[in-house]
Amino acid sequence: METTKVNAELQSQDSTSSPSGLKILWREIVRDKIALISLIFLVLISSFVFGISIILDQDEIVTVDLFAIHEPPGDEFILGTDYGGRDVFGQLIIGTRNSLAIGILVTLIAGFVGILVGLLSGYFGGHVDNALMRLVDFFMVLPTLLMVIVFVTIVPDYSIWAFSLIMAAFLWMGVARLIRSKALAERELDYVQASKTLGSSNLKIMLTQVLPNLTSIIIVTMTLQLAANIGIESGLSFLGFGFPESTPSLGTLISYARNPQTLEFRWWIWVPAAVLILLLMLAVNNVGQALKRATDARQRRG
Amino acid sequence: MAFLDVKDLKVHFPIKGGILQRTVGHVKAVDGVSLSIEEGKTYGLVGESGSGKTTTGRAIIGLNKVTSGEITFEGKDLSVSQKQSKEVRRDIQMIFQDPYSSLNPKKRVIDIVAEPIRNYEKLSKLEVKKRVQELMEQVGLSPESILKYPHEFSGGQRQRIGVARALALKPKLIIADEPVSALDVSVQAQVLNFMKDIQKDLGLTYLFISHDLGIIKHMCDDIGIMYKGRYVEEGTRDEIFNNPQHIYTKRLVAAIPDIDPKKRKAHQQFRQEVKEEYDKSYNDYFDHDGLAYKLQNISGTHKVALPQKG
Repeated sequence: METTKVNAELQSQDSTSSPSGLKILWREIVRDKIALISLIFLVLISSFVFGISIILDQDEIVTVDLFAIHEPPGDEFILGTDYGGRDVFGQLIIGTRNSLAIGILVTLIAGFVGILVGLLSGYFGGHVDNALMRLVDFFMVLPTLLMVIVFVTIVPDYSIWAFSLIMAAFLWMGVARLIRSKALAERELDYVQASKTLGSSNLKIMLTQVLPNLTSIIIVTMTLQLAANIGIESGLSFLGFGFPESTPSLGTLISYARNPQTLEFRWWIWVPAAVLILLLMLAVNNVGQALKRATDARQRRG
Repeated sequence: MAFLDVKDLKVHFPIKGGILQRTVGHVKAVDGVSLSIEEGKTYGLVGESGSGKTTTGRAIIGLNKVTSGEITFEGKDLSVSQKQSKEVRRDIQMIFQDPYSSLNPKKRVIDIVAEPIRNYEKLSKLEVKKRVQELMEQVGLSPESILKYPHEFSGGQRQRIGVARALALKPKLIIADEPVSALDVSVQAQVLNFMKDIQKDLGLTYLFISHDLGIIKHMCDDIGIMYKGRYVEEGTRDEIFNNPQHIYTKRLVAAIPDIDPKKRKAHQQFRQEVKEEYDKSYNDYFDHDGLAYKLQNISGTHKVALPQKG
């Protein structure tokens, strides 16, 4: 009896595959309580924010109401109003949505360009690599903040998309370099050589053979980048180069604190936004750190 | 016209140096190798590490750029660009040395084995699956395991998957680059005998690259011995193992261990003698760069890089 049981167990172990990359990532998050809490917090916040903002009317919230200037938090306005009599709570929700959307968009666009350039560069090597890496170097030495400010001022149609594209144009280089280094190592492996002898085109090998082997590293960098990118938008808005007041974001809310009166006496305008952005960045970063650990077997907890 | 003909193949890798990355020299990995293989035979390429045997194989299949020389396969020139020769190349496949890195860890077996089929033949999903299952059966693996990932197999099984992939297009020539040197000795024989079996069944021609003389003796009909990118001796199995002419070959053959403990003393002494001869006549057999001379025919099939007089 005993032996058959053991045998059955062994067999079931054989038939279940050892965990794939995504499973390892997931297990690491579950094991790390802080990361798990962060992930739950993120999911709740974003579903809440994206959900509520569908029913909220942005135009109504940003409409100036002179009879309700600087109302403290109360029954009518949960988080009070700003100097234009606009509901801070509504702005906070729409602002969080905008900030999150920008962070995600910037990460995705920059990630896409970075992966493309890195993959081409690493896979082909040689002259292609040289040319693309010099392009990366060129973008790296540009004073990013200055360039973004210039572009932001000259772009006429200033939407979330335009802002994200401008930001992404200066943020793809890190991903490109990372992917390049991984692709360089990957292309030397025999399975890539084998694919060549089997008649696969370079494009096919890049996308279907090499890219799947880079997924975990891509997920990790993109998550960590997301944490940084949410903050970047707020920083620019705070400096006054973000969105106008008609498009609230966490940054615009915080920038009200430049007024000393607001900073000292009307905390309800900027404290919630500041706390929220801190929590968001921390949460994304926690998840990212857990994912990063998962890619290194020696640091794994799960 | 031979089945596969390689004439004066040269593969040189540039050495870049200096600030401007100019070419300051060349590594002559393969320096004037000629060989021809008859259909259905196994040709063994032997040499120490870095002798250029793998580079020769990779150049034939198109993984390394040919510096100069001619490669003809069934009368068709292979040294043209990859695109033009795509159809010719489906008849030449390769078995890789390392069964661990030659299979993509993120792909299921069915996708690995079906890759060449999908590239060259338009088959429906069901037909592809059937073909892969047949191939798996052919290489002695269970057809149900096509949905597994490579890491779920042992080294020997993985090498069989590599063989199944190489067989998928029903090639005529298979270049086997040290197909068993990454495997356990117990598994080596299994894979080798299996390769011999399918050779008989499918009428395959092998170019067998190895540094293990025992395996070469077991597998090959004709043998070429390489040293520093050049041939030192070429001949049939019999000629190489029983009548080696070049001192390098002599030493190689002498180095094959003898398992009979009674002959141990004699064998050791024989090896010592060969070593002395090697040391003594090294300068005769190799030029001042330590390279072998041109091959000279000493019989119809036997060629040796004999010392050049004068």
